[in-house]
Order: sequence, then C-alpha cells, then structure tokens
Amino acid sequence: MNFLFMALALISVGGLAGLLLARQFTLMKLVAISTISAGCVGGLLFSLSQLFFGSQVLSASWRWLHIFTLSFRLDSISLFFLLPIFVVSPLALLYSFHYLENREKKIRVGANYFFFAVLVVAMVLVVMAADMITFLLAWEIMSLASFFLVIYDYQKKATRQAGYLYFIFAQGGALFLFAACALIYSHSASFTFAGFVAIPDSVKLIAFLLVLSGCGSKAGVLPLHIWLPYAHPAAPSHVSAVMSGVMIKMGIYGIVRFYLALAPTSAVFGQITIVLGALSGILGVVYALGQHDIKRLLAYHSVENIGIILLGLGVGMLGVATGNKTMAAFGFAGGLLHVFNHSLFKSLLFMGAGALIQQTGTAMIDRLGGLLKKMPLTGSCFLVGSIAISGMPPFNGFISEFLIYYGAFYGLSLTGVSFIFSALVIISLAIIGGLAAACFSKVVGIVFLGEPRDASLPAASEAGGSMILTQFVLAGACLIIGVWPDYPVRAAFQASRAIPLIAEFEVAQFMTLMVNLSRTAALFLFLLIMVAGFRKLLYAGKDCPQTGTWGCGFTQPTVRMQYTGTSYADSILDFFQPFVWIRKKYAGIGKIFPGSISYDTHAEDVFANGLSLIACSITSLLGRLRWIQHGNIQLYIAYIVVTIIVLLAFF
Amino acid sequence: MEAVLSFCFAVLLAPFFPVVIQKVKAGIAGKQGPPWLINYYTVVKLLRKGSVYSTSTSFVFKLGPVVSLAASLLLMLFFPWAGRAPICSFHGDVIMLFYLMGLGRFFTILAALDTASPFEGMGAAREAFFSVLAEATIFCILILFFRLTGSLSFAEFFVDTHLLNLMDTHGALLLLAVVGLYIVMLTENSRVPVDDPATHLELTMIHEVMILDHSGPDLALIEIGAWFKLLFYAAFLSCIINPFQVDNVFLNGFLFYAVVVFVYITIGVVESCMARYKLEVVPKFILKASILVLFGIILTIGGL
Repeated sequence: MNFLFMALALISVGGLAGLLLARQFTLMKLVAISTISAGCVGGLLFSLSQLFFGSQVLSASWRWLHIFTLSFRLDSISLFFLLPIFVVSPLALLYSFHYLENREKKIRVGANYFFFAVLVVAMVLVVMAADMITFLLAWEIMSLASFFLVIYDYQKKATRQAGYLYFIFAQGGALFLFAACALIYSHSASFTFAGFVAIPDSVKLIAFLLVLSGCGSKAGVLPLHIWLPYAHPAAPSHVSAVMSGVMIKMGIYGIVRFYLALAPTSAVFGQITIVLGALSGILGVVYALGQHDIKRLLAYHSVENIGIILLGLGVGMLGVATGNKTMAAFGFAGGLLHVFNHSLFKSLLFMGAGALIQQTGTAMIDRLGGLLKKMPLTGSCFLVGSIAISGMPPFNGFISEFLIYYGAFYGLSLTGVSFIFSALVIISLAIIGGLAAACFSKVVGIVFLGEPRDASLPAASEAGGSMILTQFVLAGACLIIGVWPDYPVRAAFQASRAIPLIAEFEVAQFMTLMVNLSRTAALFLFLLIMVAGFRKLLYAGKDCPQTGTWGCGFTQPTVRMQYTGTSYADSILDFFQPFVWIRKKYAGIGKIFPGSISYDTHAEDVFANGLSLIACSITSLLGRLRWIQHGNIQLYIAYIVVTIIVLLAFF
Repeated sequence: MEAVLSFCFAVLLAPFFPVVIQKVKAGIAGKQGPPWLINYYTVVKLLRKGSVYSTSTSFVFKLGPVVSLAASLLLMLFFPWAGRAPICSFHGDVIMLFYLMGLGRFFTILAALDTASPFEGMGAAREAFFSVLAEATIFCILILFFRLTGSLSFAEFFVDTHLLNLMDTHGALLLLAVVGLYIVMLTENSRVPVDDPATHLELTMIHEVMILDHSGPDLALIEIGAWFKLLFYAAFLSCIINPFQVDNVFLNGFLFYAVVVFVYITIGVVESCMARYKLEVVPKFILKASILVLFGIILTIGGL
C-alpha cells in the first residue's frame, strides 16, 4: 500500500511542479508530464500485480482532525478501477504536450497540470476509500478539481456557463450522496462500508436509490446527464478524455461499492439498474445522433456507454438476487470490462476530436468533410475508435458487450419478471449497438470521408507527434483486447470475485469462451487479409483511372450537395419522437425563382428541457421570497436572534 | 472433411440461387428470363475488368467490399449446411456472427459516404436506419430460440436436433419466428417490398444506390458477399421449415437445397405480386416482424 501512496505523492509533486515552473513553458510541460506519468505507471504496475498475484486485501488508516479516521482499503474491485485511472491519465498528459501549445497561456497551462494531478490523486483516493468520510472527502476534491479543469477557457461565456452547470450537478449529486450516507449512518452508527450490511432492507433500497441519483449525476445516467453535453465541449480535449473516460466511471464505482456494501438480496436493485441502463443506453445514443457538435455527440455517447455498463451490472445484480451464477459472473465481468474498454475508446475518440478541432477550428460536423486525406493517421485511429465504441468485433467494445449478452441470455432461463428483464437487456443492447453503428458511420462518414464541405475553413494537416502517438497506443489497445481478450477478461472476472456468489464460480468456463472469441476474431482477420490479397491479385497490372463521382446524370455537382449529418440522422430521430423534440425553422420555397433560403434544425433533449422547465418554475417561485435577502446586516443579525429564541422556546 | 465439402458446395452454389428469383419473376411476367448461370458469367466478366475510382474516395472505399465479403464468408463457415456440423462453431457464436455482419454493413455505409455523392448518402442513411430495426428483430428471434433450446450457436440449433423445426413440438411458436425471419431476410437483403433492386431511379433505392460507384472486381466482391448473405438467410429459414429428415447424407442434402430453392421461389413470387413500400412504411413493416416474435417470446413466459 505504501508503494501506492508514494506514487500518489509523486503525482502531486508533478502537479506542483507544473504550477511552480509555469514560466518555463516547455520545461514545465516536460517535468509535469513525466513526473505525473511516472507516478501513474508506478501505480499501474502496483495495481496489476496486486490484482493478479495479491492474495490479501490491503488496508491502511490514519486519524484526521482528531475526530475522523481516514481509512483505505484495496479489494479487487478497487484495484480494477485503478486501471483506467492509471492507463488513461498518462496518455492524456502525453497528448497534452502538443495539444496545449499556446505559450501566452502558460500560467493557465501550469494550473491545468496542477488540477490534473489533483484530479488523478482524488480519483485514486475515491477508489481506495474504506469509509464514508474518506469517500465523500475524496469525491468533493475530485469534483472541484474537475470543475477547474473544465473552465480552462474561462474567458468564453459558454465555458463559464458549462462550468457552472457542471458545478451544480456535481454538488447536487454530492448532496444525494450525503443524504444516503446520513441515512445509512443513522441506522448502522458506523462510518465504514463494512457496517452497511446490518441495516434493514427497506432502508437499503432508499439508500441505494439516493446513491443511484448521486453517483448517477456524476456518471451521466439519464435523466441526470445534462451537464455532460455542455461540460465536454467546453473543456480542453485531453481533459474531456479523462473526464469522460475515467472520471464519470467513479460514479459507476460508487454504485458498485455501495451495492457491495449494502449486499442486498432483493431483485428490485437489479431491475432498477437495468431500467436506468436501458433508458440511458437507448436515449443517449438517440440524442447523440441529433448532435451537430462532435464533442457534444461524444458526450452523449458517454451516456450511452454508461447505460451499457449499468445493463451489465444490472444483469449481475439480478443474477446475484436469483442465485444464477453464470448470469451474475458474466453480468458483472461484462459491466466492469466495459468500464475499462470505454475508457480506452472514448478517450481515443475525444483525442481525435481534439486534434481535428485544433486543425480546422470548428467542431461542427456538417461543416467538415474529407479529413481522412489530410489527417490520415488521426482519421484511421478515429475509425478504429468508432468501430470499437459501436461494439463490433474484432475490437474491445464487442468483448464486454458479448459478456453482458451472454449473462443476459442465461437470465432467460429464469421465470417471471426476471425473464422479462433479461429479454429487455438483450433487446436494448441490440438496439443500442445498431444505433451506435449508425451514429458513428455518420461521424466518420461526414467528417472524415467525402469532400470538404466548407472552403472557408483553414487547410488542416496532421496533428502533433505526441497527439498521434497516444491515439495509436489507444487504438492498438482496442484491437489487442478485441483479439486477445484473455487477460482483460481475467482481470474483470478477478475484480467481480469480491461478490461472494461469483467467488464460487469456475473461471474455466470463461476462458474457453474467450479462446473461441479470440480464435474467431483471428479467423476473421485472416479472411480479411486473404480477401484483400485476392483483391490485390485481381487488380495486378490493371489500369485504374480516377475521375469524379458518378452524379447520376447531373453534370454540375458541388460539395455542398453532399449528404449532411443532419439529414443522415433525420429519419431515425423522427422515429424516436416524442423522446426527441425536433425544432425546425424552415419557411419553404415560395417563389418560382427562389432566393436565399435558410433551414435550421435542432434535436432537443426532452430531459434537459423538462428539467430546465422545473428549475425555472422553482426559481420564479422562490424569486417571490427575494425580499428576505435585502443585504441589511442588522436585520440578518435579527434573523439569527429570532431563530435562536424560537429554537430555545420549542426544544 | 464433410464439413469442408458442404461449405465448399454452399459457396459454389450461392451465385446460382438468385437466378431462381429472376426466373420466377420472368415466368410470372410471361418472359423467358436470364440464363441459369448468369451470375457466374457476371462474376467472371467483372473480375476481368479494371475499376474507375472517384477522386473523392480514400482507402475506406476500397476496404468496404473486402470487409463485407470477409464477414459473409465467416458466416458461411459457421453455418450447418444441410444439418451437417459446420467447420467452426462455439457456444455463443450467433452473437458474434450477427455483429460481424454489422461490421460488414458499417463498412459498406462508409464506402458509400466516401464517394461524396448525395444519392449514396441517402441510401446509406436508409440502410443504417432499417438495419437497426432488423437487428433488434434478429435478437428477439435469438431470445425465442434460446428459450426453446438453451443454445447460442447455429450448430446447436440445427445439428442432430429437430427442436427448432416446424414439425416439432414448438411448431406453432416457430411459425411466428419464421414470419419474422422472412421479413428480416427481405430487409437485410434489400428485396421487395423493402427495397427494389431492379428499380430504375437511384433516389428510391437503398442498397443498390450505395454501391453505384463500385466497379469491376470490387463490385464482384460485393455481389458475392450479397449472394452469401441471401443464401445464409434462406438456409436459416429452410432449416426451420424443412419437413424432411432422412438418414442418407446425399438425399438429405438434396432435400435441404430443395427447400432452399422453395424459399427463393417465394421471394420471387413476393417480388412479382407486390410493389415496394413507401419509405415511411418500411419501419412499420420491420416492426411487425419484431412484434410477432415478441409475441412468441411472451407465449413462452408461462413455461414450455
């Protein structure tokens, strides 16, 4: 355990170095990146060795402010959640070397590295916490650090608004967590997670719902996902990569940790999780389809993937409740593995998006086009990430989705309600998979393929070296896990052994399945290479002239005639009404020789609109009480005196 | 050995069957139709040609046909032709195979968008939308099959067992699955009434318009992949509806392919007596299939 604390100390030193050396721009970047990364690599080695070879659960504690005990414990679930933190953070930092290039903002860049280090340390502490006080303390530090990372471009109004929204959701979510902890403490009279089991079942359910709301607002579970599509476009891309890839998973960790500590026996927990997962998964990707801004689109995909993770965990919980070992093991392993997989491909996609925004100066999908020719490396990595996130073999997203499918199929042998929920998981996953493929064919097809749509954009070229390198590492990891899923699946399985029922489950069954998946993926790649070779043979010595695209008889095509992302997604969005509000502004063609026409369409998130409606009505109602706040200090003192008198009189 | 032979047989026969549809359509229209081996001639002709590439395209355009053919080939390797054990199979392979088909489709869509043609973009958008619904229906069917047999692979579905046969105990339930699967087959293979492969106007097509810019060997690869896919679906249906179970290997194979031909004939008949639906009706048509299968699933809740 001390080794891990030393790694954390190293990370903190790196962050401080970023702040202190801010005047030497390049030196500061080099020192901060290398020190924090070194700490992360140390932490990664530690957690991997503990996960695979560690035999006992490590713990440590010390007193804080003489009243509280800060205690830490590292069981297999905690160790597993350390992996994405320690893998993605150093890569994001490496990416930032060429991404944060503006020397004029060097103080800000230094502060960025400082808060980045704080965020990493706080996330590690969240995962290590063994009692509520430590957990909430680390949780709050994590929220604050990420808030400062989001408002990097604080001079822009949109960024400040996004930061504010994120702050409200972070603190509102924390409020739910405090409520949950208070409720649990009132029954168990103990701060440690180990003391949760004793509380009555009805309280467990309420506590779990509070945790779902609190952690859900961090993770981006529908309908508490509203901050994601604002905060991610506002934040710098390496920050979005870590926040979306890793930080929102801390919400998932919270749900898993409280679930484990509460150790409920009822099936309701799993059912609620499945419903939330299906809702987030399907609507997340539907909203993603309607987005025009590539980073907003990716943010909605985080909602979708959190939904998939919840589906997996829900299957696992249902399996535990019904005593179905296969279902429990595959559900939890699938959900946990998806946590790791998503951290890889989502950070890859955010990095790709960051590179193209840096090069073209716009994030609007419908203004871009043909970027693959100008940025072939970034484009290829983005393509890999897109296939992985759509859950298609031979990449890593498929492996975790397959595990969840497998668990859910075994849930079909159950009777009654549990059967219906298992079927719901399978159908939702199928719909999510199809829609995600549709959405990413849109992104890749519109942004990277075809012809550039807007000639006024600057000529893009390939991004800086460190940015390319990190994307290649992540894309390679996606492929490797997809073709050799053995060790990652083993790790996920090892992690879920913290659940008593799964600890009895035989790992061998898992592994033959993984060998089969791996062989089939390899066979597919082999066939692919064979067909490609055959094709090459067919074209050997043949002359292949180049010409314009066949315009179906039309002789004056322009690039503006290409299909846009908006029209590509239109019919699907139409199908999902009334969950999507489509706002169109279009006057139609009136005259025989039409003049200039404008067409404006927005797909709006029903939940965001509904929540803002509720919030507005509450604020206008509370606005009537404004007269209480008059700014007169004497009267405020009078309030205090009156309150004390009332309290003394009645209690 | 037997598995390899039956696989090769299926691969070699795949280009033949679509002619059945054309012949039926021609027969009903009072025409003679193309020669029986037209598709083989077409392949040879296309393979000998070169290609013209659009200046808008990138390597993704050339990757499209390769990926879709590789995916269909893999599917053929896992299917138990005429109820004989396939070359490869494992518990859970159906999930992976349908996802690989999704990968093939993904690249076909990307290749279409790569040409920068508005027509191909239109086709791509439709393909992406309809395949979402078709995929959901497929997984409904898999749920029903798992409920009936506890299996998750084609080999377990059909090799040495008749649980998934219309003539067996669950025949009535399977009838719902057969109708659902038939609709999915029409959708996934771009047949009437979802898509009309023979229409003259690019604006109204789905699949054909996506491959407008492919030519020569690339087009041949796409066509072969499409024939494999159609044969797979037809064979999947045939395995369920095949009423003949004989011990003799050759006779069994013959009867199986006779049923496959029957499925192709029905496609031809459907194409001859129906027009394609309006595009907004198509989603409802596919949803009909999933509702039917869902109904079948509900019927199994009470126990079997």
